[in-house]
Amino acid sequence: MTHSLHREGTISSLERDYALFIYPARGFNYNGSGPKVRRIMELLYLEAPSNMIVSTLRRNLYSGVRPEEVLESIKDGARIYSAFNNREKLKEILVGIKKLDEGISVVVSGLIDRVREMAAEINLNPHTINLSLGIHGRTDRLPPPDIRQFTTMCGHGMIAPALVRDVIRRIKKGRLALWEGSIILAAPCTCGIYNPHRSQEMLNDLIPLYTVNRW
Amino acid sequence: MIIRQETCVGCGRCHPYCPTQAIHFQDLKSVVDQEVCYECGCCLRAEICPVKAIEDSPHVYDYPRALRKYFSDPNATHALTGIQGRGTEESKTNDVTLRVGPGEVGIAIEVGRPNIGMDLTNIQKITRALARAGIHEIEPNNPFQDLIQDHSTGDLKPELMGERVLSAIIEIQVKRDRLRHILRTIKEVAREVDSVFCLDVYTLLEPGLTVPPEVLEIIESEGLSWRPNAKINLGLGRAWERKNS
Repeated sequence: MTHSLHREGTISSLERDYALFIYPARGFNYNGSGPKVRRIMELLYLEAPSNMIVSTLRRNLYSGVRPEEVLESIKDGARIYSAFNNREKLKEILVGIKKLDEGISVVVSGLIDRVREMAAEINLNPHTINLSLGIHGRTDRLPPPDIRQFTTMCGHGMIAPALVRDVIRRIKKGRLALWEGSIILAAPCTCGIYNPHRSQEMLNDLIPLYTVNRW
Repeated sequence: MIIRQETCVGCGRCHPYCPTQAIHFQDLKSVVDQEVCYECGCCLRAEICPVKAIEDSPHVYDYPRALRKYFSDPNATHALTGIQGRGTEESKTNDVTLRVGPGEVGIAIEVGRPNIGMDLTNIQKITRALARAGIHEIEPNNPFQDLIQDHSTGDLKPELMGERVLSAIIEIQVKRDRLRHILRTIKEVAREVDSVFCLDVYTLLEPGLTVPPEVLEIIESEGLSWRPNAKINLGLGRAWERKNS
């Protein structure tokens, strides 16, 4: 289960952060899904998402992987995970996917109000919602919210809080540019939905304020 | 994961990549605390080691340690579900599978997320509380199902106690009228858990991306609230195979 519904941050930051999933269902539309997913992937490349991975290759947009390699890796059951930092761009993609009508499940994770608007504008009828009821238990053990807004962008918890602090420290020391830091943070996320554009904005906001200890 | 001591140069570059801070210095070399390591493979995939000293532990696929890998490394395909990751397709393909149908809800308790991880005794506290409350509708296709020894008591297999994972997900599917009872049970057991868990509820939508008021009313009446962002299945999928399992 991708953890995208638990992404944290301010509303204004989440306004520029959407995850998009293309997901064949095992036993229902898995066999024969490869060419359909590939056509959707070709469409996605045209709209330049903030990040993207196909489950058959697991190399993100900034890994140096060539589009041809990604497209060739796609076979039946392949899933696409992507992130967008622009509502209009996402809307364009959804219009294209709707037009293709491949019959593969499409899921958007983002602000409910914004997705509702988009769905109405392009005449989609959303089917199921997965709501986050928040974090419970020993919340006192969690890293602070300004670190979690980075770490929760990886659905599987692969972005270590210590790595966020390390990147902040290196940017403050002038050893990394904001974008370079963002790409370093995006790399461990093998589900490909870490949004480096949003991360760059968040780093820009944090750098003047933040002091971090060694670890 | 292990770091070959004869190769490690003690540069420490791998340390910040570990989500559970299992890597530390010892005698000027980096070592992985095997008790703490979740076998998620982050340090290896980062390709940060200048001398390639990081590698999989030779015991990573030995039972029960292998569970650390299956429940912590998103690239590991679990033998039970045949899919990567720790959960199922849940709401993501619900437009095709109708796993959660009209008048039903799905509930997911994602123990260990975000950031903290857990030893499996914590998830057993939740499964026992659910069993005591008469809640037995745990999703059969979730890899977590494989850890349960006795559904009537919620006991996990005893050999798993002490194993640590980044997260595991308890998925439940019930009629909506059971939601209140389940949320109440989860709220009560939250005080006993020495980790964190994220709580999700998924349900079919009404026209216009309207969440059924009955579901929201139950959530609110239990003193809970929902985040402004959510995962939404847009309803573009359809089936063309007959489900064979």
